[in-house]
Amino acid sequence: MTDPVEPTAERPPGPLWLLIASTALALVLLAVAYVQWRQYQLLDNATHYQNDALGWSFSQLETEQLRLRNQVQASLQGPSPPDRDALQLRYDIFISRIGLIDHERAARIMADQRSYAPAIAMVRAFVADADRLFGEKPTEQLTPQALQHVLAGLDALTVPLHDLSLGASHLLYERATQRNSAVRQQSVLSLALTLSQCVLLLVLTVIVLTQLRTLNERRKNLEALADNLHAARVEADAANRAKSVFLANMSHEIRTPFHGLLGMMSLLQDTGLNAQQQGFLLTAKESANHLLAILNDILDISQLESGKLQVQPETMELPLLVAQVEALMRVQAQSKGLALNVQLEPDVPRWVNADATRLKQILFNLLSNAVKFSQAGSVGLRVASGFGGRVIFTVSDTGVGMDAKTLERLFQRFMRADDSPSRRQGGTGLGLEISRDLARLMGGDITVQSEIGRGSTFTVALPLPAAAPPTPAQLAPETVATARAPGPLQVLVAEDHPVNRAYLEAVLDKLGHHAVFKEDGDGAVRAMQQQEFDIVLMDLHMPGMDGFAAARAIRSMPAPRGRVPIIALTADAFQASRDLARQAGMDGFLTKPAHLPQLREALERHSGLGKALHPTADAAPSQEPQAVDEIFDPATIDDARQILSPIVYAQLLARFFSDQPEALTTLRGAARNANHAVLRAQAHSLKGAALNLGLRAVADAAQLLQSATAAGEANGHIDTLEHALARSRAHCIRDGLLPG
Amino acid sequence: MFRLPYPVRPETSPERGWLVAAVLGWLLAFGASPAAALDPPTGKVLLTVTGKVASGNGPDGTAAFDMALLERLPRHSFTTKTPWYAKPRKFTGVLLRDLLGAVGTSPARLNATALNDYRVEIPLDDVARGNAMLAYLLDEQPMSVRDKGPLVIIYPFDDKPELRNAVHYSRAIWQLRALDIQ
Repeated sequence: MTDPVEPTAERPPGPLWLLIASTALALVLLAVAYVQWRQYQLLDNATHYQNDALGWSFSQLETEQLRLRNQVQASLQGPSPPDRDALQLRYDIFISRIGLIDHERAARIMADQRSYAPAIAMVRAFVADADRLFGEKPTEQLTPQALQHVLAGLDALTVPLHDLSLGASHLLYERATQRNSAVRQQSVLSLALTLSQCVLLLVLTVIVLTQLRTLNERRKNLEALADNLHAARVEADAANRAKSVFLANMSHEIRTPFHGLLGMMSLLQDTGLNAQQQGFLLTAKESANHLLAILNDILDISQLESGKLQVQPETMELPLLVAQVEALMRVQAQSKGLALNVQLEPDVPRWVNADATRLKQILFNLLSNAVKFSQAGSVGLRVASGFGGRVIFTVSDTGVGMDAKTLERLFQRFMRADDSPSRRQGGTGLGLEISRDLARLMGGDITVQSEIGRGSTFTVALPLPAAAPPTPAQLAPETVATARAPGPLQVLVAEDHPVNRAYLEAVLDKLGHHAVFKEDGDGAVRAMQQQEFDIVLMDLHMPGMDGFAAARAIRSMPAPRGRVPIIALTADAFQASRDLARQAGMDGFLTKPAHLPQLREALERHSGLGKALHPTADAAPSQEPQAVDEIFDPATIDDARQILSPIVYAQLLARFFSDQPEALTTLRGAARNANHAVLRAQAHSLKGAALNLGLRAVADAAQLLQSATAAGEANGHIDTLEHALARSRAHCIRDGLLPG
Repeated sequence: MFRLPYPVRPETSPERGWLVAAVLGWLLAFGASPAAALDPPTGKVLLTVTGKVASGNGPDGTAAFDMALLERLPRHSFTTKTPWYAKPRKFTGVLLRDLLGAVGTSPARLNATALNDYRVEIPLDDVARGNAMLAYLLDEQPMSVRDKGPLVIIYPFDDKPELRNAVHYSRAIWQLRALDIQ
């Protein structure tokens, strides 16, 4: 590893120096201890006392010699016979003192004193002589003559013993001086050692401090590096997120004209093409459909990445969802000759809280893959209960399978199981990543088990809490939805408001129909003349030729075009409008908002594809939702978000609000010029779009404006409308319907 | 092992009075047990104890010991090096505190005198804790005057390093003649 911050030239003192300094310090400490021990030894030694006491011993001997001499002299002068016991005691004490100086060590110490040996010899001679009188076995009588002799011997000893005493004293002074100087030397040595100890300690401290500082610097550098890395990462993340947002926007932008392209191709199909052209068109449509699938995947993945995609759990019926998935997948499986086994375990709760759209997306993706990669055998979906309120979806196939290496990279972006089969199959390679991200977004995960040639098993474990069943009223439309989707219809839609066009486009797309859009009655009539449609959705209030006129024009055409079913679409639910529509030759009547089940049912009935499930539904005026919320129509919003997905709904909302400044300008202009027709048409169009989007307050304000123009109060109502728009927009942002 | 009946503070303790009290208490309680009068000496008197003597055997309240009387007291011995002999020697005799117990006294001060009138004061701490001993045998043999005998005071220098100093060597008095108790 290279550290660019630390220059190699300024390396701190390494561990070797530390070791050397520590060793030196330890040695010095040892030396100090030795010196101190030596000093202790010097003091704690009996020999020193012996040596010191030698001087005392000599002078004691001299003293006792004198005392013995005095005793002898006193005995000679005193009354006879002499006091033998006293003499004997003095003599014995004198003898005991001789033992203190007449030994090897004393001789060694006094070796330099020339007087020592002769003096000792004289003392010994005297003792030998005197022992004849005072020894353990005296051989001579204690006569005055004998005592005189002893006295003479004692006198002869006086000078040598005195000299010895003096000599010993001098010697001992010398020795004391020597010892003092030895102690001084040792003290000096000790001092020197202590000094070197201090120096070494200083050196050691410097080394340790240097190392600490180096470590500190290194730590700071590392921290700075980590900070930089963190900042760079945050920057990179931000850039990545920006790209995802851009990608999301772009793919949406691409999708809109792309629908037009698809529609055009559908129209092109029916324009009397020859076989070759039909082939080209088929290929073009397949490519376009593929491209659309890719765009949808990219939109999902970019929204997942930028964190825009959110799951919207709602109470839903799990067996129903499974049945829907099964119905769609069975077709795919059968077309490849595969068996589809769907198994719903009885312990799975019927009603759960889940985002049905996203759950379906995951299951479709896994099942499509299973069908795609299986050439023979079967594809299975098993739904069972897991631990902790989890529901386990197991998708298994008998397909090509994957090896361990492939499994490792399976959920990575643009990763495809294997080159050879997947190239044939196509696909973005984003499906699994999207599925797993969605599963994780729902608090679960996807795992996979596979073996080459033995097929694969994907397991989705999701925490889907059981929910209370909804009221029957909410239930009804769902049962309609279970009916088999009718085959694709060619639908002509005449609708002036762009938001409504986008809404219908999405709904019809969802229902699997092909739609052609016209902005007014005139365009619709011309489209009818050019190609055949299975059904027409006609807005009644349009600029130029309105819906009633357009219907009459179509009815005047020869059969079969003149007999095409026409369904009226309108934002108002007046019986008068209904009657006028019938007189104009229209077959059905739908009030905005056009909910998916009603639209589907109307399309089925009037196109003759499906059987009418609710024959009475047509004539009945559409039931207005309960006025619970003065700003929103929650049922419509929920419906739209479920049918269109929350994202598409949000986009429609955004588009609607962004169109309004222009619409308001038009309205104010029309009010100024008292152009009632334009005012009414604009207000009506606005009302229809607001109803489709569930913006009740805006729809009410538009309705007020539409009906009040006659009374000349337009400007006040336009203000009300503007206010309602602003409030609704704020509420949409607050409730998360519209990104802020 | 000898133990005091009361806790004894170390020498460095400022409350030295405790120690003295303990020694005195011990001496009264055990040493002087029946405070029976000492038998008169029959042999040559080796040691004369003067001063505060409670149970002496002499005419003027003193106590006189011959070898037989000394040998009747509890006998102890230890071997130690000394400055006066080249090799370690074994000393046998009576502990000073036993001796003081025998004369039934409560000393404040102890003065020892040798045959040659050498005098030294022996502190009570040496008696109580220093195990100072009055030795009458050297290597199991009686000591003559020529041999620094017949009685010497000796400390267990080898056992107690703190005793190996000039002060204690000077208190190890030879040719002990008399003890004066004040």
